[in-house]
This record gives sequence, structure tokens and C-alpha cells, in this order.
Amino acid sequence: MNEPIIQEQSMARVILRRFFKHKLAGIAIAVLALLMLASAFAFTTPYSPTDQEPTNSFQKTSMDHWFGTDELGRDVFTRILYGGRVSLTVGLLSTFLSIALGVLVGALSGYFGGWVDSVLMRTTDAFLTFPTIFVLIILGAFLREQQVPWLKNSVLIVIIIIAALSWMWPARLVRGLFIVLREREFVTACRALGGSSSRIIIQHILPNCIGPIVVSGTLQMASAIITESGLSYLGFGVQPPTPTWGSILATAQNQVFRAPWIAFYPGLMIFITVMAINYIGDGLRDAFDPYVIHAEK
Amino acid sequence: MKLKFLTLFVILGLVLSACGGGGNAPATEPPASGENAPATEAASGGGGGGAVTLIIPEEPTTLNYFMADAAIVRQVAEATMMTGLATINEKGEYAAVLAQELPTLDNSGLSADYKTVTWKLREGLKWSDGEALTSDDIKFTVEVLSNPDAGALVGTSGFDLIASVETPDDLTAVLTYSEPYPGYLDQFAYGLFPRHATGEPADMANWEWNRNPVGAGPFVVSDWASGESITLTRNPNYYEEGKPYLDSLVFAIVPEPAAQTAMMLNGEAQFQLWPGEFKADYDELLKGKATQHLIPGIWNMAIDFNLSAPFDGDPTAATPHPILGDIRVRQAIASAINYQSLQQDVLKGSVSDSTNPFAYGWYQCDLPRKFGFDTDKANQLLDEAGWVMGDDGIRVAKDAMYAEDGTRLSLELQGYTAFDPLQLTEEFIVENLKAVGVEARIQNYDFSIIFGTFEDNSPRAVGDYDMLIFDRGFTTEPQGYNFDAYHSTRIPTAENPTGGNYFRWENTDVDAALDVAGSSFDTQTRKDAYCTIGQAVIDDMPQVYLYLFQDNYGVADNLEGYILSTWGSMSWGAQNWKYK
Amino acid sequence: MLTYAIRRILQTIPILFIISILLFFLVRSAPGGPLTSARRNPNVTKEQIEAIEEKLGLNDPLPVQYGRWIGDMFKGNLGQSIKFHRPVNDMIAERIPNTLTLVGASFFLTLLIAIPIGIFSARKPYSLFDYSMTTITFIGQSIPVYWLGLGLIVIFYVTLKNPWTDIPFFPVGGMNTRGKEGDILDTLWHLVLPVTALSLGWIAWYSRFLRSSMMDVLHEDYVRTAKAKGASSNSVYYKHALQNAILPLVTLIALDLPSLFAGALFVETIFSWPGMGRLFWDAAKGRDYPVLLGVVMITAVLIIFCNILADLAYGWLDPRVKYE
Repeated sequence: MNEPIIQEQSMARVILRRFFKHKLAGIAIAVLALLMLASAFAFTTPYSPTDQEPTNSFQKTSMDHWFGTDELGRDVFTRILYGGRVSLTVGLLSTFLSIALGVLVGALSGYFGGWVDSVLMRTTDAFLTFPTIFVLIILGAFLREQQVPWLKNSVLIVIIIIAALSWMWPARLVRGLFIVLREREFVTACRALGGSSSRIIIQHILPNCIGPIVVSGTLQMASAIITESGLSYLGFGVQPPTPTWGSILATAQNQVFRAPWIAFYPGLMIFITVMAINYIGDGLRDAFDPYVIHAEK
Repeated sequence: MKLKFLTLFVILGLVLSACGGGGNAPATEPPASGENAPATEAASGGGGGGAVTLIIPEEPTTLNYFMADAAIVRQVAEATMMTGLATINEKGEYAAVLAQELPTLDNSGLSADYKTVTWKLREGLKWSDGEALTSDDIKFTVEVLSNPDAGALVGTSGFDLIASVETPDDLTAVLTYSEPYPGYLDQFAYGLFPRHATGEPADMANWEWNRNPVGAGPFVVSDWASGESITLTRNPNYYEEGKPYLDSLVFAIVPEPAAQTAMMLNGEAQFQLWPGEFKADYDELLKGKATQHLIPGIWNMAIDFNLSAPFDGDPTAATPHPILGDIRVRQAIASAINYQSLQQDVLKGSVSDSTNPFAYGWYQCDLPRKFGFDTDKANQLLDEAGWVMGDDGIRVAKDAMYAEDGTRLSLELQGYTAFDPLQLTEEFIVENLKAVGVEARIQNYDFSIIFGTFEDNSPRAVGDYDMLIFDRGFTTEPQGYNFDAYHSTRIPTAENPTGGNYFRWENTDVDAALDVAGSSFDTQTRKDAYCTIGQAVIDDMPQVYLYLFQDNYGVADNLEGYILSTWGSMSWGAQNWKYK
Repeated sequence: MLTYAIRRILQTIPILFIISILLFFLVRSAPGGPLTSARRNPNVTKEQIEAIEEKLGLNDPLPVQYGRWIGDMFKGNLGQSIKFHRPVNDMIAERIPNTLTLVGASFFLTLLIAIPIGIFSARKPYSLFDYSMTTITFIGQSIPVYWLGLGLIVIFYVTLKNPWTDIPFFPVGGMNTRGKEGDILDTLWHLVLPVTALSLGWIAWYSRFLRSSMMDVLHEDYVRTAKAKGASSNSVYYKHALQNAILPLVTLIALDLPSLFAGALFVETIFSWPGMGRLFWDAAKGRDYPVLLGVVMITAVLIIFCNILADLAYGWLDPRVKYE
């Protein structure tokens, strides 16, 4: 069993090399890493995200306040860094959750086929026809008001509802891959040797699907970050005083003329992040795609 | 195959244009009723004053004020069906409108035993469809509003006390009450129903009239484009000669605040309801085009304290709140809040100071704040109460009155979501309290939770909260609301689930004052009783009042003749509007 | 093909059934209710509210209420709005054309721009054109719709104006200028900003998709064979590759419809467009159950219908597909 692993590592190296050939993807990785670091080290700014100075509200960009101040005189830059923590966490976790669920459903469906496939795919179809945003709002309203202490007002709710309505795409993707792969010789061989289904799925088929899954993961993450901010904008997202990019933007709505920068910077951050993730996805696609090298020749 | 693609695109295009065409159809229906068009031409005097566009953020569900489920209904209804026998003017006084004069003791409109009220209509009144408006319509209005099956939501107070209505002639209606009712003028200040143009009282919810009311007001609905706009044109049969001056009012439904202000900026609208910008910013931005006006509103923001132990499965006042049960803690919280900065810096002067529930109207009590902003005082009170500063800057109980030693001074601050000023206030107060070692955790719920019922487990009803912040308001007749909020028999429990004494406050003086205020016809006596309650609120501190909202309107500078009133909505007095 | 269509339509019934059950119980178990605001009103007695609830049948057990609702729905009746006291059918009928106009126009514009970009990017991958298009489309894809909408208002309605007349270039409020209702040109003019806001992200997405799908096809054996046989480069490209690359787009579009409706909700709010999204939004805030459920169900039906259409179109365009 050691051999394939070694094989894989070297494969990973190849992919990594190919990825960094895509210069913009390299830059994007750096930008995203910078954003994450900045959010992680948000406490190093001289301000706290909640400290107020009401007499100092609506300050324009200055040396003291890089992104100006908001209606309570809080430092927008600091709030955006802290907001980044939540927004990025929501993006990452909801993506992991939705990919995990999607892979599970897709793998079972694609591997076993038959009635399992029928049931799972009908369910997936039903979810795909949900008018997503409507259901997100309904689900958000429902979950947020449940009297479960650890769910109350928690970021977790936003993560759950985003994941609950986005697992269908990875599921379909993985199912498609599994249907093709389960007929391949190495799988048939394994089955003939008495390998258990779970072992075949996890150790043999799944590793071959990593590429497309990772690529679709980047798309998911980009859209999760945008969805979170949209929900906050409508007042159904993460609740105050926790700052997120979306909630900062939402409260800035009334100040579009008075203090456009409060709306501008969080929007810009969402934009830069999503852009970076998209480029990373692009780079990964090229890296996993055997044709790219062919095309470059 | 290329051809097939092409075909697909053409079909798509056709479908789209068909959709477009269809889309316009419902919005362009010509003014519904045939009566309107000729009537407008026949109008003599007045009119010709052009159109005014008013911006409202959401669509009213009905134009029948008595069915209003939200404040937005009145903003539009006031221009069309809310012209009644009397009105409340900008000074908070009653004035006769369709009635010749207000019935009082002096003109014998009100009998000496207060049980008979005689209304006299002006002569020659007509409904907007040209039919005569008679005393029978007053009778019909009483029939509707006293019918419990009609489903009226507002304005029904006291109608169950009207035992009979006599109509000796077309102009006179004599109302006999089963017991004296101090609000007898208020009942008829919100409009009348025409018997001939409505329907069965019990079926009021489904009247066609609700969306296109035949009324006595200055304007009549001529078009309602769902989700987009409601157009009203002048009522040719309006009772005041030569009014309204304007030809039409267009209520444009614009949900996005930035788009609203932008429309004012471009002169596409002349009247804006509740602009999001603060006055100084607004006036600066719209200089020479529009001005923001602030008038005292009725929404009074306060923090309610729960005096009973929360989250203990017992909604009664039996066990005191472990932290807030000690009045010194409440006083300390009151002293920790920087009211001046909250009102002027955070909310930019869009609110005025308020110390007690009776902050406006004839019952206004100007009582001074007992515990103003004073951090030293707050710290001292907390020290005395047995709360010592902990390592993390939050106080901990040590020999406190009710709390066990080691309890953190941490409280949940509940509010409702999606209301910016409330959220700003919460965030500001959290910081204020943190400065004296009190932790407040914001927990906002949907409107429907905060104002939910006992059966729905609404936190305030079942007593599961520490501090609750929201704005309350009452009308010219405040008795019902205040009795419900402050009387000791109104503490909500399983047996008494509708009670509104959410603080679980028991004060015998207040109970007595409420009984006086509810039985007297003398305004001064009633006012004194309410002021007693106001003072008790300040002394006992079941709540601490923060500020009174002002209603704000953006009005184009080229408009004149408008009067903004605490007691009216944006379109109150629209018959007097004209362009300069 | 007809039997296939019929079978597909029959298949949707259980899906709609599942959706309806899930939604109904989800919506109804969320706290609060349509009469919450009335409860806050001190003048309304509890008896009044109970009488209204009884009248509306809100006190019956949920399964009974569901049965009644689904039964009515089979008869084509979505019920009566609790807030507006109007038939939900009428309310939705007023709004559907507006939303379809908005979504349809965006969709049309999207394809009109995205297809050429995708084709030319794939024709010369890693060229200057390709790189700049990639960048531009990524920008489009990374801007949240509502942020873009606000920005468009500030730029094209407030800041930039016709210097001679001082009139903004594009309007923002509603579908028509007052007094010009029914004027198609006027509606088109009102559509410019909302459609721009809604389309930008989709243009990015589809052009990217088409580019990669084109590049995949170019590596297929039959394209190589055609090349080897000496077919001209253009003919290989446009005749063989394009036609096959564009096919998956049809399916993708159908799958993306729910998201397009989501974007429409934001755009309708920002540009005061009287569409279904806003109807839903108002109903969700006021817990107007029949309207809420009606809008979601109708949207689901629309989406399913478009999915079936897409499948049929796919088969019609691609002779290789056989309906079993």
C-alpha cells in the first residue's frame, strides 16, 4: 500500500509546481494569506473593534484611522480586520461542511447506484430547485430563534444554512466522477480481491477525485463569502455586535452619501478576497488539468 | 444546427418581450373607476397645483386605517379616508372637521352625565363618489367598529360602550354610551365608513373599499401599481372650497435608503418619510433642494429591567432578580449611561431627552433625571451593593444582596433586529456599562419574538430576560396602555398571559394613581395621576428612559403649506400643500 | 420526445411534494406569526386576535392546515394573503412578469456578451485578450450584487449627470417614469442599471465556463481528427468545437436559475423594482404565510419547468441524445 502514497506525493509536487506557474494564482495565495494573517493579528491595531468615540464619528481616512471611523467613532480598519475573521471563517467552514456532505452523498450515490442513487439524487434535485435565497432566509429565521443556547446568535447558524443549501453541486460532481471511476480496472480488481466498499471508496476512488473537488471548493468558498455578506445586508446574517464585512456594509447603507468609505472598504475587502479565491481556483484548475501543459507547448 | 441555435435565441427574445409587455399591463390599468374622470373635469376651483411624489419605504397592506397592521398604512390612508368628524391638530388639540363643532358640555353636545353625545354634521357634505354623507354613515361606522367579527385592529376603543345611535335627521347623530367614556372625541378622529360603498360589517377584511376607499378626504385612489406606487388624485367633492390645491399625490415605494435620498436629490420626489441620514448631513447634501424636519414623535426608548429572577421557569415576581433585584445596581446602570453623548453624538440630535413614559402630549410630565451620567457615582453604588471589580474588568459579587458570591455582573441586553438606531444605542450602552465593570451581552431577536405572546414563549412575557431595550408609544388616550404596563395585576403569568407589566413591578401608589386616571374626566387630575406614575418610575426604576424619537421628514424646499404633527402622519393636511 | 416530456413532468410531482412539505413545516415552525404587530397594539384585545386566528384557521393542527393548503394548491388556488386580504394568485400574477422581465433581460444580455468572450478567450488562450478578459470577468464575479447596485446608483444617478440638462443618465425608481406606463422604451431605460447589476457576475461565470468547455472540446479526438484531415482551423473551431462546447451551457443555465432569482431579490430591493423577490421579502418580514409559501412554490415550479425545457432543448440541439 505504500507505493500509491509515494506516487501521490510526487503527484502533489507536480501539481504544486504547475499551480505556481500560474503567476496570478501565486499572487492570489499571497494576498489571501496576508488577509488571513491580518485578521488573525487584528488585535495588534491600536483600537478595539467595539471601542467608541462618538465625538469622533465619520472621520475620513487619515493616518490615525486608515479607513476612517464609523457612526460610533469606531475605527473601520480594525472592524474590518475583525470582520474578516468571521467572514473568512464562515467561508472556510461552510465550504468544508458543504464539500463533506456533498462528497458523502455523491460517493454513495455514484458508487452504489440503484435505489440509493435514486433516492439521493431525487433529494439533490429537490434541493437544487429550491429558490436558494428564499429558503436561506426562512431557514435563518427558523434556526436563529430556537432556544438552543449554543446556537443563539451564533455564527454557526450562518455556516450551517449556507452549507445546507450548497452541498448539491459537489454531490453531483462527485457522483459523476464515481460513476466513471467505479468501472475502472483498479476498482474492479480491488473488488475482486475482496476489498470492502468503504475501503474502495475512501482509499481508491476518492483520491482520484481530489482535483475537481478542490476546484469546486474554491468556487463554493467564494460564493459563501458573498452569500454571508448578502444575508447580513438583509439583516438575516451574523448579529451585532460581531462585525462581519456584510454587517459593516449593511449599517453603512444609510451613510452612503455622508460617509461612503464605510460602505466602500468592506465591499472592497469582499471583492479582493473573492477575487483571490477565484484566481486560486483558476490556478488549481490548470494545475489539475493535464491539458494545460499540452496547450502551453 | 446553427439555425437551431438562432431559432432558440429568437424564441427567447420573443418570450422576453412578451413578458415585458405582460409586465406593464397590470401597472397601466387606467384609473379604475369611471366616476373619477368626469368628476375631476367638473371640479370647480382649486386643483391645478401639480403632483407631489412622496417616498415610502414599504407598501401599505390596506388603506383602511382601522385594519392597519403597520404605521405605513396611515401615511397613505390619512390623505384619503381618514377625514372624520374631528381631527387632532399639531398642538394635540381636537378640532372639528366634518362636524359643525365639537360636542362639549358648553354647547350641550355632551350631556351632563357624560353619557349622551350629539354630533352635528356640516351641511352639503359628499363622499368622494358624489353620494351624500349623512348621519346614517356615522351610525354605520359605529356598527362596523363595534362588531367584533369585523376584524378591526385599531381605533376600536370605546365602541363597545356605545349602546345606541339615533339619527333624527340627516345631519344629527345622537350617541348613547352605557358608561362615560373620556375618549369620545378620539373615536371619530380617524374617518367614517360610507354605508353605500362598503359592505357587510362582519366582512370588513374583504371589502373592495379597503384598497380603493370612497372617503371624505382630500384625495382619492386612482391607481395602485403593486410594489411600485399608489397614485391619489384630488377629490372633487372635498368639503373645503378650493382645496386640495394639488392635482395628485404619488406614493412611491422605495425600500433602499440610498435610492430614496437620491430621488430627493434629483427632484424626483418632494416628500420623504423617515430619511436615514441625520438632519445636518441631509440638509448639507440636499442644500437648496430639500430640508429635513424633526418633530417630537411618540416613540420613547427605554431599558426595561426584569425585577424577577429570569430563566427560572417562574414568570411571577416571587423571587427577585439576583442582580437587578437590588435597586442600587439599577441606579448604577442608570448613572453609567452618557445620555448627552448618546443623544447628540451617536444619534446626532435626532432624538430628544426623555426621563419617563409621559414625554409628550397633554399628559407630558417634565421630571428631572434622578441619576444622570456620573461614572463615579455608578462605581460607588456598585461597590456599596457588594460588587467588586474582577480581574477581567467585570465586577463579581461579594456580599451582594441576592447574588451568590462569585457571580459575574453579566447581563443579557435584549432588543429587536434590523433597526439601526436601536442597534447603535445598544452598542453604545454596552461600552458605557463596560466602563463601570458591568458586562452586557446583546441578544437581538426578530420583532415577532420580542413582541410575541406568552404562549409563544416570548422572553419578556415569560420573564426570561435581564434588560430589554425597545421603544414604546401611546396615543392621545394613554390609559389602556399604561394600566396594562404598570398595574400590579398586569404581571404576565400563565393565568394572566396578556399582562403587560413585564418588569414585574409592584407599587401600590402606582395602582391607585392608575385607577384615578382611568375614572376622571378632568384633564388636570388625570395628568397629575400620570405624573405620579412617571415619578415612581424614576424613583423605583423598573425602567430607565433614554430618549424620545423625533419623527423626521425630508421635504422639498419648493413645497409649502404643510404642517408636520406629532399626532398625524406624513400626508396629514395634504389638502393645504402647494408649490411655491 | 413528448412521452419524455410527460414523464419528466410527472417526475416533478414528488419533488414538488417534498419541497412543499419541507417549506410548509419550516415556515410554520419559525416563531412569530402574521398577527405579531397587532399583539403589540394595546388597543387590540386577545379575544379579537383569537377570533381572527380562528377565522384564518391558524389554530388547527399543522398537518390539517397543510392538507388544506396543498389541496387548494392542486385546484390552482394559493390562498388568501393574511396581510393584504387579497388572493395570492393575483398578487403573484402582478409580480411575475416584472421579475421575468428583469431576469430575462439580464439573462439575454449575459449570453450576448459572455458567449463571444468565451469563444475568443479559448481561441487564443493565454493571450493578452484572454488574460484581460479573465481579469475583467473575475472582477465582475467578485462584486456582491447589492454593493454593485449601490455603486451604480451613486455613480449613474447621483454623481454623473447630463451636463446640459442636469438630468441623471439613468433612472433608479421602479419600472417606468410617472405617466409613461406601458412605454417599452421607457421600461428599457429603467432596466439599464438593474440589469447591469444583475448581469455582471453572470457574464463572468458563463464566459469562463464556455472558455474551459471550449478548451476541453478542442482536445477531443474528433476535433483532432478533423484537424488532421486538414480541415481549416476556423472551420474546426466554429463548426466542430463551438457547437459541442455550447451544449453544456444549456444545462448549466437551468441549474443556475435559483441563484439568478436570488440576485433579483437584491436588485429589486435596491432599484425599487416591483418583482417577486420583494413580494417574498415583505411577506417574510410580516410572516404572511400564504404569500410566502406561494412565492416560493411558484418560483420552484418555474425553476423545474425551465430545467425540463433545458433538457428538451438539449436533446433538440444535440441529435446524439436519445430520450429513453
